[in-house]
Amino acid sequence: MGLLTGKRVFSIMALCMMVGLLLLPIVIALPSPAIGEEAPAGDAAKKDGDKVEKGRDVYYKTEGIVVGAPAPKTTDGPKDYPRYNFESRVLIWFANQQHLYYGSFVLAVPIFCMIIEFMGVVTKDKALAKRYDQLAYDFIKISLTAYSLTAILGGILIFTFLTLYPAFFGYLSSIFRPVMHIYALMFVAESGTLYIYYYGWDKMKEGFLKWIHLSMSVVLNIIGTLLMFLANSWIGFMMSPAGVDEQGRYLGNIWHVIHTALWNPLNLHRILGNMAFGGGVVAAYAAYKFLAAKTDEDRAHYDWMGYIAMALGVAFLIPLPFAGYWLMREVYAYRQQMGITLMGGLLAWLFIIQATMIGILFLSSNYYLWQAMGRMRGAEKYQRYIKYLVFLLICGFLVFITPHTMVMSPAELKAMGGQQHPVLGNFGVMSAKNGGINVMITTTVLSFIWYMRGNKVSTVSWAKFGNIFMGVFFACAYINIIWLAIYGYYIPANVRVGLSVPQVATTLSCLFFMFALNSVMMRGAKQMGAIEWGKISVRSQYALIMLATAFTWMMALMGYIRSSVRLFWHVNEIMRDNSPWAYTHTVGFAANMISFNVLFFWISILFVFWMGSLGAKKVPVEAKAGIPGSVPQPAASH
Amino acid sequence: MSALNNPVIAVIVSLVIAVGYFTFVDHYLMDMQGLDYWYL
Repeated sequence: MGLLTGKRVFSIMALCMMVGLLLLPIVIALPSPAIGEEAPAGDAAKKDGDKVEKGRDVYYKTEGIVVGAPAPKTTDGPKDYPRYNFESRVLIWFANQQHLYYGSFVLAVPIFCMIIEFMGVVTKDKALAKRYDQLAYDFIKISLTAYSLTAILGGILIFTFLTLYPAFFGYLSSIFRPVMHIYALMFVAESGTLYIYYYGWDKMKEGFLKWIHLSMSVVLNIIGTLLMFLANSWIGFMMSPAGVDEQGRYLGNIWHVIHTALWNPLNLHRILGNMAFGGGVVAAYAAYKFLAAKTDEDRAHYDWMGYIAMALGVAFLIPLPFAGYWLMREVYAYRQQMGITLMGGLLAWLFIIQATMIGILFLSSNYYLWQAMGRMRGAEKYQRYIKYLVFLLICGFLVFITPHTMVMSPAELKAMGGQQHPVLGNFGVMSAKNGGINVMITTTVLSFIWYMRGNKVSTVSWAKFGNIFMGVFFACAYINIIWLAIYGYYIPANVRVGLSVPQVATTLSCLFFMFALNSVMMRGAKQMGAIEWGKISVRSQYALIMLATAFTWMMALMGYIRSSVRLFWHVNEIMRDNSPWAYTHTVGFAANMISFNVLFFWISILFVFWMGSLGAKKVPVEAKAGIPGSVPQPAASH
Repeated sequence: MSALNNPVIAVIVSLVIAVGYFTFVDHYLMDMQGLDYWYL
C-alpha cells in the first residue's frame, strides 16, 4: 500500500512537472515582447534625439515602432546564396519534406495513442481493454524511433538553411526572435514528456495511476500541437506576412507576426492532415505485418490494428477537404492573384493531380470497408448495393477532377476551341466540384455505417422506421448536394460561393446524425456472428498500402504547391528570392521530385519499423487458430 | 410506434423531416452569410 502511495505521489509529481514544462516557455516569453519594444526603440531614440520611427503593418494596417532591420536585398552570389555544385532549392526541398513527414508522423501517433488508451480505459470488456492498451503501446514504440529521426532531420534542415540560404534564414529568425527560444524549450518539454510517458507505461497501468498516465498523453499532445502551431507561423509569415512594414521591418508585435491571415487555416488543415497521414502510415505498417504474418493469431492482430488505424485516419480525412476549402478561401481573400495562380494558372495542373489523389484516397478507403465486410457474417445483404456506391463515387470523382482554366499552348487552345472545353468545361467550376467531393464524402459515411451494422440486426421496436428514415435522409442529402451544385449555375458568383456552406452542412449532418441514429439503433442488437479478424482478402491490405502511399504523395504535392505559390519571393512581397532558382519548376520535374521524396520516406520508415521489431520478440501464444470469431491475442509483451 | 413502422407512413414522415430539415439548413446558412438562398 505504501509503495502504491509512493507511486501515486511520484506520478502526480511527474504530471505536474510536465504541466510546468508546458507553462515554462510561456512564462519566460511574457516579458519578451515588452523588452523587444522598449530596448531597440530606446536605442533609436538615443541616436536620433528622441525621434522614434514608426512603420505601418502591411496586413493589420496598424502603426508600430520600427524595431527590426529591413529585409535584406539579396544578390545572386556566394554571400547570400552559397552553394554546392547542385541546385540549392532541391536540397532544401528534400530536407524540408523529410523533416515534415517524420514531424507529422510523430505528432499524429501520440494523438492516436491518447485516443486508443482512452478507449482502453473506458471499455468495460477487460480483454478488449488489454488489447487497446497493447495497441497504444505498440504505436508509441513505433513513434519513439521515428522521434529521434525527426530531431536529426530537423538538425539537418537547420544546417541546410544556414549553409545555403543564410540571408533568408537570418532575416526569418530575426523576425521570430521573441519566440525562437519557446520553440526550443517546447521541444525539450516534448522529449521529456514523451520519455516519461513511454517508460512509465508498465508502472502506471492500474486504476488512478492509469488516469494520470492518460493525462500525461494529453499534456504531451498539447505540447506537440503548440510546436506545430509555431512552425506553421513561419510558413504563414512567408505566404502572408504581417507584423512588419513594407520594407520588412519588425514592428514589435510578435502576435501580429504569428497570427497572419493564413495561420489558423494552416493550423487546422495540418492537424487533420497529420492525423490522416499518421493513420495511413500505421495502417500500411499493419498491412505489411499482416501480409508477412505466419500464424492466424498474428493475422488477426494486424488485421485489427490496420482497421483501427484506417478508421482513425479516415475519421480525420472526412473533414480534411472542408479545412482545405477554408484555407483556399482565405488565400483568395488575402490575395486573389495568389488563389488564381494556384487554381487557375501556373499551378492548376498540380491541383488536378491533387483532386485525382483525393479521389484515390476515398476510393481506397471505401474499397477497404467493402472488403472488410467479408470478415463478418450477415454483411452479405449489402454486397449487391455496393455497385451503386461505386457509381456514385465514380460520378463524384469524375466531376471533381474535371479541369476548368488551364495554362495551354496556342495549339492546344485551338484544338479545344477556347480556354474551356465546350462541354466538359461546365463541370470544372467550383459549384460542381463541391458537389462532387461532397457526394464522395457522403458515400464514405454510408459505407462506414454499413460496415458498423454489417453483422448486427437492430432489435429496437422502431427498427423498421429507423431503417427507412436513414435511407430517406441519405437520399435527400444526395439530392440536396446535387441540387445545390446545379443551382450554382443559375445564380451570380457572389451568391454561388455561399452554397458551399449548406453543402458541407448536409454532408456533416449525415455524418453526425446518422452515426448517432445508427449507434442508438444498434444498442442491444442481435449479433449474426462475431467479427472474424484476419479473415479478409489480401487485396484489402494492398488498399491500405495504396491509401498510405497516396497520402504521402499528396502531402509532398501540396507542400510544393503551397511553397511555389510565393513565386519569386522568399517572404511574399517583402523579401525577394534573387537566387538562380527563383523560377517555378516544370510539373514533370516537381512530380519526379515528389515521387523521390515519397520513396525515400517509405524506405527509411521501413528501416524504422524493422528497428522497432528487433526489440519486440514475440511471446508464444497458445494456438487458437481456426476458431471463427476468436479474439486476437496481444502480439507481444512489454 | 407501430404506425410509424408502416412503410408508407414511415416514408412520408421521413420525407417531411428530411426535406424540411435540408430546406431550413440551406436557407439559414445562406442567410447567415448575408446571401439570399431564394435569389432565383
